[in-house]
Amino acid sequence: MTTLDTPPLTVVAPGRAARAWRTLRSSRTALVGLAIVAVHVVIALLAPLLTSYDPIANDASHALLGPSWSHWAGTDQYGRDVLARVLYGGRYALGVSVTATVLTVGLGTVLGCAAALRGGWFDDVLGRVLDAVLSVPAILTLLVVVTALGTGPLVIVLAIAVVYVPQVVRVVRGAALAVVPADYVTAARARGEGTWAILRREILPNITDVVCVEFAMRASWVVLLISSLSFLGFGADPPTPDWGLMVAENRTAITVVPMASLAPIIALATLVVGLNLAADGLSKAWGVDRLREGS
Amino acid sequence: MASIVSVNSLSVAYRSGGQDVSVVHEVSLEVAKGRTLALVGESGSGKSTIAATLLGHLRHGSRITGGSVQVAGSDVFALPARELRRLRGNTVAMVGQNAGHALTPSMRIGRQIAEAGGTVPVVELLEQVRLPRPAELARRYPHELSGGQQQRVAIAMAIAARPDVLVLDEPTTGLDVVTQRSVLDLIAALRDELGLAAVLVSHDLGVVAHMADEVTVLRSGRVVEAAPTRQLFARPQDPYTRRLLASVPRLDDTGLALVGETGEREVRPRADVPDDAPVAVRAQDVTIDYGKSRTVHGVSFDVRRGEVLALVGESGSGKSTLAWTLAGLRPPSGGTLTHEAGDLAGPAHRRPLSLRRRVQPVFQNADTSLNPRRSVGDAVRRPLRFFGTAADRTEAAERARRLIADVRLDPALADRLPAQLSGGQRQRIGIARALAGEPDVLIADEITTALDVSVQADVLRLLDDLRRERDLACLFISHDLAVVRGIADRVVVLRHGVVVEEGPTEAVFAAPGHPYTRQLMAAALEPDPDAQPYVDDTLDWVDAADEDDLWTDQGDSHRVRRWRPLNAPVAEGVS
Amino acid sequence: MFSFIARRTAAGLGTLLLSSVLVFLAVQALPGDVATQVLGKDATPDAVSALRGQLGLDQPAWERYVDWIRGALHGDFGTSLVSAKPVGGEVAMYLGNSALIALITVLFAVTGSIVLGVIAGLYRDRWPDHVISTAGLVGMSIPEFVVATVLVLCFSVALPWFPAVVLYGPEASVGQLLPAVWLPALALAIVMAAYIVRMARTSVIDVMASEYVTTARLKGLSTWRVVTRHALPSALLPTLHVIALNVAWLAGGVAVVENVFNYPGIGKLMLSSVQNRDLPVIQAIALISAVVYVACNLAADLGAMALNPRLRTRGRTR
Repeated sequence: MTTLDTPPLTVVAPGRAARAWRTLRSSRTALVGLAIVAVHVVIALLAPLLTSYDPIANDASHALLGPSWSHWAGTDQYGRDVLARVLYGGRYALGVSVTATVLTVGLGTVLGCAAALRGGWFDDVLGRVLDAVLSVPAILTLLVVVTALGTGPLVIVLAIAVVYVPQVVRVVRGAALAVVPADYVTAARARGEGTWAILRREILPNITDVVCVEFAMRASWVVLLISSLSFLGFGADPPTPDWGLMVAENRTAITVVPMASLAPIIALATLVVGLNLAADGLSKAWGVDRLREGS
Repeated sequence: MASIVSVNSLSVAYRSGGQDVSVVHEVSLEVAKGRTLALVGESGSGKSTIAATLLGHLRHGSRITGGSVQVAGSDVFALPARELRRLRGNTVAMVGQNAGHALTPSMRIGRQIAEAGGTVPVVELLEQVRLPRPAELARRYPHELSGGQQQRVAIAMAIAARPDVLVLDEPTTGLDVVTQRSVLDLIAALRDELGLAAVLVSHDLGVVAHMADEVTVLRSGRVVEAAPTRQLFARPQDPYTRRLLASVPRLDDTGLALVGETGEREVRPRADVPDDAPVAVRAQDVTIDYGKSRTVHGVSFDVRRGEVLALVGESGSGKSTLAWTLAGLRPPSGGTLTHEAGDLAGPAHRRPLSLRRRVQPVFQNADTSLNPRRSVGDAVRRPLRFFGTAADRTEAAERARRLIADVRLDPALADRLPAQLSGGQRQRIGIARALAGEPDVLIADEITTALDVSVQADVLRLLDDLRRERDLACLFISHDLAVVRGIADRVVVLRHGVVVEEGPTEAVFAAPGHPYTRQLMAAALEPDPDAQPYVDDTLDWVDAADEDDLWTDQGDSHRVRRWRPLNAPVAEGVS
Repeated sequence: MFSFIARRTAAGLGTLLLSSVLVFLAVQALPGDVATQVLGKDATPDAVSALRGQLGLDQPAWERYVDWIRGALHGDFGTSLVSAKPVGGEVAMYLGNSALIALITVLFAVTGSIVLGVIAGLYRDRWPDHVISTAGLVGMSIPEFVVATVLVLCFSVALPWFPAVVLYGPEASVGQLLPAVWLPALALAIVMAAYIVRMARTSVIDVMASEYVTTARLKGLSTWRVVTRHALPSALLPTLHVIALNVAWLAGGVAVVENVFNYPGIGKLMLSSVQNRDLPVIQAIALISAVVYVACNLAADLGAMALNPRLRTRGRTR
């Protein structure tokens, strides 16, 4: 059944790619946002080439220095180069966030579509369970999971999936519900097509934009949540270069070496602004009203 | 007589992708006091845009690029904000297309009317628009009224401040025929009573012929022709106007009207359905329930091969529900539904593939019937492969192109997305998709309702051609009696899920037996200002059918559900 | 009308029941034996098993769950493993302190953000909209701990107007806490308002483009009247649930901010009890948060009913 999709795809694909590109070009907001995110990704990947300092090497003789030629953003209380830590810090933030977001949005999309299409008791039960999960504050759930299972990246990824899947399900379910009554879905039902085929052929292609926007927005929330967790001391373990952790470590010395706190804050804020701009621009360009769906 | 409205070479454009797109181009028109001017045109003709400019309103992003609009002596677009507010409501008022959307959902009706200004008490206004129990109604919210009542409230709101000009933008589109007729009669009565000038925007030439003194025909934002109503309908000058007029189906056509390029009209005789044509689908005593309420009460009919059977009725008559059940989307709660090849009572996915492909639906709304993210070729190929009517991919592609050609489209369109096609083209693709399963029964649910009248004529002709070529049995569902008269061989009239009359088209239209049928026919509007009502008497009646005596037989399989006049309890009512 | 309220209340109670089960199960999954933890690693096995019996840990899980819920319904959430005081009283004390922050936050964030959102929506694509939308985007993009840190830097360090940290314990009086309340409340309000502003803006834009608003304008009504009478009731409808979700979010959001300011509120209690594995306290906090969530949603439903006559008049005949 997969094979017969190939001819239409080759026909439509250029149109689809062109359409996506046209939309992107038409929305400066989205373009700027994606560019910011891309810069962050490149920096995180190339961090070892951009700085010669080791982000976790202590050097007591150079502690708490202001910005200078050898340390552009100064050093922290252990004498570690702040810039190096900021550059490397993106690795943890991006790595964990991207994995967590992919998992969350993927799982949420499947569940949301299934709920919209199946309806009935499945939809009801799923809604109740997800509401129950939502009713406990995300940060508390996360703290409990992390305490129970340790602070490894995998645990954090899973914990974030637990916390955010319900909201993704709600959004995707809302978007899918708008597609389900369309006549082309009815036509497929009248042909007697199976649930899975309807989902894949008729519904998913029509909610791709919602899912993309959801991805960008959810990623920004995940980045924020992970940094908060690190700030509270439940995320990345201390020597790891991580932005939230850096703020927590250097906050007390903020009057002495403001750059040690400001640099990770700027990095964090630009990444989240980038993600939000991308989500915003895409949703406007695609006409997806994400707030309407009650996220 | 002095004009109260005068539009002078008005041009309107909106910006899209950095370019000005012209919507209205140098349009001029005049309306004298107490006269009614109709703006007629198909979608995209700019008629609603012009109407809104009379109130100084432009859609977001549009602007005037030339000309002026004068109402009661003042240049509307040069007025300061305060003056413009006074003009709105007091001098010009508007009744929009969909009163359900035009009334604020969170406010009581009385308050909304009172707000419109004027000194006439709300209750009096509601009485004036012939609404029952006005005092109680004023305390209701919009969603508690029916569509017709909502439109009457919108009219009451418009006349509250006793304006001089009434702008009516498709005021009855979306209403049932009988309701439409009564709302139009109300508007006409109020217009005469209050001496209003009116600008009526409509796509429906029947409405225009009935209401207007003068007509301006628009096409793509330009005036095609402007003339007094009688003259325009009797001697249309422009070929476009002629074609438009010729495309309107009439209640007295004895077959499908074929329209030529310059508007000549030829009525094609009905196809001959042999008496021994096999029955493709037989419904017997079918009942359908939605939850606890029953929408279809024991309906029976046969559709034979090569025959078009029309199900006619207003909204809520259960006609679309029947179509859905036949297509296997909603199981019946009683009765039998059989195809010559098997039982149709089960849902689509339980029917065997060979049976499923033989009963195929075509949908009302061409905009939503095709997946916007897949090429139209794919939409046709999918059922070819799914039903196994094409053996492999190359054959499916080949067959899809042939099917697209069969519905009189260029096969090169196969690579397009639905958004790149016009409404008529999309509807043809919808038909091609239904044909892909090589069905012998086609369910056409209001397939021309959303189309412009000239496009409707083309699609009807296609459908008529196809059933002749392919010997299709077609269940044609429509609320429009004139369309039905042209295409159907037999008619079933439904009311509240009950069949009140059925028979051969000619017989039913020649001698409609049931008062409800007669009422529908009386309400239909012909595109002719001098047309007499198709039938003149409409009686108040009650149902008189009982278990073993349901029908009055009028011969030639034309039968009428028993009824009696409301005021004469004993007499038996046969026309 | 009453059936609508009843249905929503029933659904809320169902959610609560379900979340209490989830909370109980999640907390049970925390590793390490509580008794061992309380007594330290060197405790004798006898002492451990005695404490286990005392804490009821030798009973099956469902019995403990039923006991816990039965107690919770009477306000008895058990005894804190750390302070050995009744959890109910302790949580209530911290909760009261947090409520002070929450009240001020909600008051400012909700009224302010609705006003700003409506202004942005009405002046769509003009400068007030650009300013408000950009500020909203920034507010959404900066984590609470950063906002809090920056506020401390500005209003405690640079301009010594407010205290940077609270030096009082949980027993502090309102008068003692009041000066320290403003900065945390401001930090929370900035983050919270960002979301509400955006929602209010979009829905105002939607409603202003609707046919009934156009009709009202074409009736010749003043802009003020069109906005307040015709547009706002419908525009606030979708905003209500976003407000409810955000108010419920406060229950968790305070954790980070209180930590920055060392404010003796529920968030701080949450953190320390997770660190100390003080299970009864964690359970109580989670359950109370769930109650707040359900209550907020119910309030939003009632608000929706006030704004939307469809929900009120269902069942009345045409």
